[in-house]
Amino acid sequence: MKLLVLLLQIGFLYGFFILGQLLRELFSIPLPGSILGLILMFTALSLKLFPLRWVDSGATLLLAFLPLFFIPATVGIVDYFDVFTGKGVLLIVVLILSTILTMAGSGLTSQYLSRRSEAGKELS
Amino acid sequence: MQPFLLAVFFIALTVGIYFFMNLLYLKFHYSVLMPALTATSLIILFLSFTDVSYNAYMVGGEWIDRLLGPAVVALAIPLYKQRKLLFENLMPIFTGTLAGVMIGLTTGITLAKSLGFSDVLVSSLLPKSITSPVAMEIAEQIGGIPSLAAVFVMIAGFTGIIIGPAVLRLLHIDTAIGLGMGYGASAHGIGTAKALEYGAREASVSSVAMSLSAIFGSFLAPLFAWLFHLI
Repeated sequence: MKLLVLLLQIGFLYGFFILGQLLRELFSIPLPGSILGLILMFTALSLKLFPLRWVDSGATLLLAFLPLFFIPATVGIVDYFDVFTGKGVLLIVVLILSTILTMAGSGLTSQYLSRRSEAGKELS
Repeated sequence: MQPFLLAVFFIALTVGIYFFMNLLYLKFHYSVLMPALTATSLIILFLSFTDVSYNAYMVGGEWIDRLLGPAVVALAIPLYKQRKLLFENLMPIFTGTLAGVMIGLTTGITLAKSLGFSDVLVSSLLPKSITSPVAMEIAEQIGGIPSLAAVFVMIAGFTGIIIGPAVLRLLHIDTAIGLGMGYGASAHGIGTAKALEYGAREASVSSVAMSLSAIFGSFLAPLFAWLFHLI
């Protein structure tokens, strides 16, 4: 019974993914169908079109196994190993630098803004 | 072997290795033991020793691959559960995510282009701070290679958790919002696992940052790719 509920919930989430794909193709939206599905799901929950428990345990299960789902696609790197030879090593330097700058930018911006708004709240 | 049996075999192999590596990670909790890294490496080793091509492996692999779409949709659920946190800190979280995504895209493109890397590589590298399933779709859309993108995403994730703590300390980023945003916007799921070591609130912020980065990145990556003449 519990398994059936999980399968139904995953099927329901899959439905939103398919819907996202359809919208993407129908209106040539330049967004991944899965992201459109995510936005639709968040909107539907916010509008209380159906209760959270309809999707909760299925979503928790899928997210717990997320790393498993992207293993097959990542294994595809076997066909591109030569990318990391020679000059390609520099790509790793670019990745490291850009990731650190991203972290610093988002961390500093959000911390500054949240401190400022909290100081504002205390004054008022 | 018959295609059907081959598919079943590769599905079982992938799931089996994943479960075993996950147990190992749960027991020792070292970042380098994350199953996304260890299981992928083991399967690559298996394929190279047995001389099985990637296409043959994907006869089974694609069935696992198909769950990526609904799993991305599932990200809406933690985001919805954290809506109070999100709306109470809307400005810092929105602006912080936007800053992170834009800095990541701009520095990624300019650094890689100035070193003379090909457009295919730059496009594959662009979505590196976005969670793997979405990054692969973005990369494909802007002319990159999905599996390369997935590996770049992993490198960004490990950068975030290995060098990140020192960077955050150096910049005096020490609030739950600052730390969570830093990890989630730069190192996605791997960063969110690290944020949990700081506390539950840090991890919640990080998971919100990860989902929002995926949404913002889907809008902005194609735009930046177009601005910098990649597409």
